[in-house]
Amino acid sequence: MSEIFTVPARDLTKSGIPTLADIGERLRGGAWAFVILGALCLGLGLVLQAERGWGNLLLTAFNLACVGLGGLFLLAIQSITGARWSDPILKAHRAMPALLPVAGALMLLLAFGATTLYPWARPDAASHEALHGRLGWLNPPFFFVRVALIFAAWIWVGRRLTHQGKGAAPFILVFGLTFSLANFDWLMSLEPVWSSTILAIYGFSGMFLQGIAIVTISAIVLRRVGLLPAVSKAQNHDLGKLLFAFSCFWAYIFLSQFLLIWYANLPEETGPMRLLLQGRWMPLFYLNLILNFGLPFVLLLQRRAKTNEAVLLATCTLLLAGRWLDLYLQIMPPVLHGLGPVFGPAELGGILLQLGLGHLACWPVFMKDANPAQELPQAG
Amino acid sequence: MSSIEHLHRSRFRASFPDPEQLLHAVAHLRAAGHRVLDTYTPFPVHGMDEALGQRPSRLPRACLAFAALGLALAAGLQIWTSAVDYPLIMGGKPLLAIPAFIPVAFELTVLLAGLGVVASFFVAARMRPRLRIPDLHPGANDDRFILAAELAADVQFPAVARELADLGALDSSLLVEDRFRRDGAFWDRPAGVGMLLLACLPAFLLLALVPVLNRDFQRRNQAWDGGMGAPLSAQAYDASGVLPGGKVLQAPPPYTLSRRGEPPLAFAAGKAEAERAGRELQNPYQPTQARFNRGKLVYERVCATCHGREGDNNGSVIVARGAFAPTVLVSPAVRDMPDGRLFHVATFGGPTKMKGYGDLLSREDRWQVVLYIRELQKAAKPVAAPAQATGVQP
Repeated sequence: MSEIFTVPARDLTKSGIPTLADIGERLRGGAWAFVILGALCLGLGLVLQAERGWGNLLLTAFNLACVGLGGLFLLAIQSITGARWSDPILKAHRAMPALLPVAGALMLLLAFGATTLYPWARPDAASHEALHGRLGWLNPPFFFVRVALIFAAWIWVGRRLTHQGKGAAPFILVFGLTFSLANFDWLMSLEPVWSSTILAIYGFSGMFLQGIAIVTISAIVLRRVGLLPAVSKAQNHDLGKLLFAFSCFWAYIFLSQFLLIWYANLPEETGPMRLLLQGRWMPLFYLNLILNFGLPFVLLLQRRAKTNEAVLLATCTLLLAGRWLDLYLQIMPPVLHGLGPVFGPAELGGILLQLGLGHLACWPVFMKDANPAQELPQAG
Repeated sequence: MSSIEHLHRSRFRASFPDPEQLLHAVAHLRAAGHRVLDTYTPFPVHGMDEALGQRPSRLPRACLAFAALGLALAAGLQIWTSAVDYPLIMGGKPLLAIPAFIPVAFELTVLLAGLGVVASFFVAARMRPRLRIPDLHPGANDDRFILAAELAADVQFPAVARELADLGALDSSLLVEDRFRRDGAFWDRPAGVGMLLLACLPAFLLLALVPVLNRDFQRRNQAWDGGMGAPLSAQAYDASGVLPGGKVLQAPPPYTLSRRGEPPLAFAAGKAEAERAGRELQNPYQPTQARFNRGKLVYERVCATCHGREGDNNGSVIVARGAFAPTVLVSPAVRDMPDGRLFHVATFGGPTKMKGYGDLLSREDRWQVVLYIRELQKAAKPVAAPAQATGVQP
């Protein structure tokens, strides 16, 4: 079947299409510039407004960790289900876990800004009524020990999974427990008077959606450079369906959290949600819904759109922007104590750092994986 | 008939052990000019639509239309009932509380999209239920991959059969039975509308039985869930455990002013004050049809529960419960009371049991009820003997 209904591979030796190595070469310089510029911007942001700087660093670290976990999770479910449809098109998820050590290092950097970010890390935390009885768990030394342990677990299990292809089921178990803990620890504790028991699955839905978006982009890039010799439209269609389904899943979980908080309207639950629904954060709240659900839903509804690479690329870009905004709306309102959203050097720095570090950490692994000599006619 | 004879001779089937061979065979047959009618496989085969040269299905459009219908119905019903027709503030939420409408809207969208697309599929495929489905091939319900095709003109079947065998076909044969024949036995024919209705008859009969069995259902419901039958919450007419005097409806505190802007009445509760009101107050309203209607409405909502719709205690809930007998409003004693006294009782309550309604009904409504009671008294037959418990004051 594959011989009849697939796009013929491009002859790389004759065409002027750049190889993967060329692209990597070209992007590496830009990635270093992004990292340096991003670090400078973030530093400037820290000086200008410490809350904003540390908040964006937390966002960067958390999202990079999520990218790595997204790759591992895809790998794990493929391994568990014995999926083979994805083998020829999905390559990037083997490279994404390379980001976990980087994210872990950034997360540990937050030790210097914990007092700015987390109310429970401040000297006056004991007098904070809402934190009463919680300081045994939420205190800086124990917190960062947990951060280190969680990252160690992710990196260790992830290494077994990517290198030996073993331990997918234990990874799912470890992931479920630690990722929930990470969400509650790192994000929910930003606002002491807030609890949402569904926060972890909400974080997961966004994380997995982003993972699929990155993997889809990489598959399209691979096809553009002619590295996918036998990819039928059906596989493109599958990626589109996955994106569509998990965009809906994100919206479903979003509503599951939002509806109960909105309906019950309890003081210990509304927390940051109230900030988002009123005042200057409100447009971003709706933009978040549009980017992560509204536009992808409309764009990918048609079958023709799901197989169209331009539409897929546009949707994935929207979803990546939506993911950043989603995290921004979770982290910033409680950190900024009622101030409105501003796009300043700290935000720009965080985004540049994510892009630059993402490329630098993942590309070498991606190259090695996607570019095995037996599949590739070497470009002269 | 001759065209059908032709069809009989020109259609054939072939079965294959795996999907790749079927795909090859379909491509081969089409390239050779045969018309491949359809394929029958145990699972969807990737690329089969393209191999058969089928256009993309139009069913998604039907799905979208039904989904939009479901969304419109759910959103319309909820918005109309909650925000327009019966605006009732629930849980301090706005009347047009969109987030609360989403779950129902989602469910109805999905439900109608699902049912609608299945129904559209049957209509578009012209499929109707039938009792026996002709078997194209014994392996069609098992592990075989089967195609049905029509010979190209001037080609003999044996030659095609040889080609198919080379492509891996396990067997191939001409179709002697036309599965689209309409003159078959009763159980081979597709069901008509009458048949479908007949098939639904048991369901209709069951539905007709529901009212008969209703009482029984209710009893069972209680047995299934004792919590619903005997809730811990307070029941209507229970004495309040927290409010003074056990009364749920408390009188407003002294010196409470009406939110309607009515000036305070210069009267207090009690029999002496009631008699003073009878002397000093005049009904400011003249009986008109509109006042009669309003008085009737208020009387039947508020007063009739205890005093009866005719003012004669007939149908009184209180009497039915055996609590006590309220004053008979059409009795001569009440007939002789001045308007002001009745108004005072309506406002402050009776000397024994009746609650005052000054805090619940507007002053105008109370006067209109008095007008209506006068009409009831006019309409009532004169009470034969004053043996009623007229000692009880209003």
